[in-house]
Amino acid sequence: MGEPILRVEDLTTRFFTEEGQINAVEGVSFDVEPGEVFGIVGESGSGKSVTALSLVDLVESPGRITNGSVWFREPALAARIREDDPDTAAADGEMVDLRRLDDNERRALRGTEFAMIFQDPMSSFNPSITVGTQIAEAVEVQRRATANPRAVRSRTQGFGLLKFLTTSMVPTVDYVSEESRDRAVELLDTVGIPDPASRATEYPHQFSGGMLQRAMIAQALATEPSVLVADEPTTALDVTIQAQILNTLGDLQAEYGMTTVLITHNLGVIARMCDRVGVMYAGEFVERGSLEDLFERPSHPYTEGLLGSSPALDNGDRRLQPIAGNVPSLLDEEMPDRCYFADRCPKAMSECLDKPPEFDADGSEGHRARCYLARDAYDPGDALPEGYFDES
Amino acid sequence: MQYGRFLLRRVFHSLFVIWGAATVVFLLRFITPGDPVTALAPPDAGDEVRAALERRLGLDDPIHVQYFEYITDLMVGDFGNSMEVLDRSVLDWIFWTRFLRSLELAISATILAIVIAIPLGVVSARRRHTPADYSATLFSLGGISTPNFWLGLMLILLIAVPVGFIPTGTPGPLLHEAVGDLFAGDPGTLGDWLRFMFLPALTLGTYFTALITRLTRSGMLEEIGKAYVKACRAKGLPETLTMYRHVLRNTLIPIVTILGLQLGTLIGGAIITETVFEWNGLGQLLIERINARDWTMIQGIVIIIAIGFVTINTVVDLLYAYLDPRVMEE
Repeated sequence: MGEPILRVEDLTTRFFTEEGQINAVEGVSFDVEPGEVFGIVGESGSGKSVTALSLVDLVESPGRITNGSVWFREPALAARIREDDPDTAAADGEMVDLRRLDDNERRALRGTEFAMIFQDPMSSFNPSITVGTQIAEAVEVQRRATANPRAVRSRTQGFGLLKFLTTSMVPTVDYVSEESRDRAVELLDTVGIPDPASRATEYPHQFSGGMLQRAMIAQALATEPSVLVADEPTTALDVTIQAQILNTLGDLQAEYGMTTVLITHNLGVIARMCDRVGVMYAGEFVERGSLEDLFERPSHPYTEGLLGSSPALDNGDRRLQPIAGNVPSLLDEEMPDRCYFADRCPKAMSECLDKPPEFDADGSEGHRARCYLARDAYDPGDALPEGYFDES
Repeated sequence: MQYGRFLLRRVFHSLFVIWGAATVVFLLRFITPGDPVTALAPPDAGDEVRAALERRLGLDDPIHVQYFEYITDLMVGDFGNSMEVLDRSVLDWIFWTRFLRSLELAISATILAIVIAIPLGVVSARRRHTPADYSATLFSLGGISTPNFWLGLMLILLIAVPVGFIPTGTPGPLLHEAVGDLFAGDPGTLGDWLRFMFLPALTLGTYFTALITRLTRSGMLEEIGKAYVKACRAKGLPETLTMYRHVLRNTLIPIVTILGLQLGTLIGGAIITETVFEWNGLGQLLIERINARDWTMIQGIVIIIAIGFVTINTVVDLLYAYLDPRVMEE
């Protein structure tokens, strides 16, 4: 294994709602290596989107990242931080901890090193501004950041107060430069939008969903990111369009060498795009490893269940086997102190009433599973009686 | 070009609205009690005098002839003369003093409201559940529930009287006079205009300010929750830019609508404030002319208000189309 570009350690995100505390992400750890596609898969409500948002620090109130660190490799920034404060805990070697950076530094990284693609392109563009302008905004942010890194870290991001006020108040005075607009048109061309120059002057409602998702990819590319976080990029689209978008994304990923964190509930997308995968359940990674580890040698019964409930062509006469039961509540007071999957698990044992740690599993070096079965073989004699969880 | 066609269509619609208003106010004369002749003639006038007056006012023709003449005159901009002060032109009387006075008051109140309310609403939404937000909410609640006549009287009592240099009870100069004097080298008239305008505009604008503050706050909160705001943050756009260029702009769409409607009503309907401050505006004039059964004047005032109303609404629609491009497609 090489040096990771992203190292997430013990990431914990909670929502403090009126109903109580919701543990959306609970102690998640993983590494992402440069240039690879890391997939996070799980059912709705398993905390995968919140994990994505936590990476780019876009978790909104009442949610808050309560623990853990997100280490990102950025040697220049690490050196600069150490220069300012030799004893800082925010830098470690070439890595910086995004969680310990101050707000402006972190926001500056968001425009330049991290980009994000969202699930629903229709609502992720401002309906009253042209698509071209919105992409040009992203270009402009990147442009200002490279031209003047220090100023971008200030509150107004190198605008100067006066210019900032006039561009904010007078809509005809534009802060997006012509060059940025031209670049936006180029980007639209790159992602395969026909007649990009005229499409750039159109509004989001004049685009189809697939075209708009392409535009969103263009917007993400605008920042020339090191890390692209794609949160369910194809979920809201037709199947035929999904394939096109995945192709585009795959091509661009290879061309730009972007490290990608891909969040999806679709195992087909995972199999097609990813190098390594983490499986999320109830806010935790229940299993992570290489693509082969998960598809060939799944150690956790939940991963097996996921595989069993998705259709495949080569065994067409096999019936799909859905996982019984529902996604558990993430409300803190309702979360039991045992393996969260035990009540739906066909192989639950008495051991599972103790919460399992992560075990090394067979296969590649990084293959880990939060299940006793990764360590011991299944012993039917130790199984919990049927209906054990029904009474409690 | 796109805006041009849009504007043309709106102007065409507006003409129908004005024609409708003119017709309704004309017909109203025949179903309301009291007539101009009785109001004008001496109590002991005989039938002959009354008939002569009726002829003089053009009221002896059949209704359809009267209506035809009335509409054709209107089309060339002839509003006729007052039925009480027979040699006084309706348009002069209404427009050059009373209408401008009301318009100035309405616009000043609106500008005051916008300048205070929108920043207040933005701050309130961005610092939700902080003392700043609570004070803004308290202020807007108070503003909405304070009656104008009481607020006006209290402002006179607590500000105008102790301070002394803020006059009340007499109408001040008009803005075009003040600006004329300013260019002639006398800025004093403009100062007078401001002194006279301050309290009435504050009185008339308070409810409005409160209303827009609330609208801005709730609109901003709704917009901030939308996915595109997250997308703006994800691409590293500065927070203030996200707020003003994206969120506030979309919040303005409903606010502009309310602004337009409200400004329209303020022109003709600021009677209470005008009375408290002796403002001599259009609303007061309308009441006075109704009591005198001065029908040409009543017609004139109603039509002028209608024209003001549709003009403002057209401007609002244009703004609306500018703010939300989807409007233009329909």
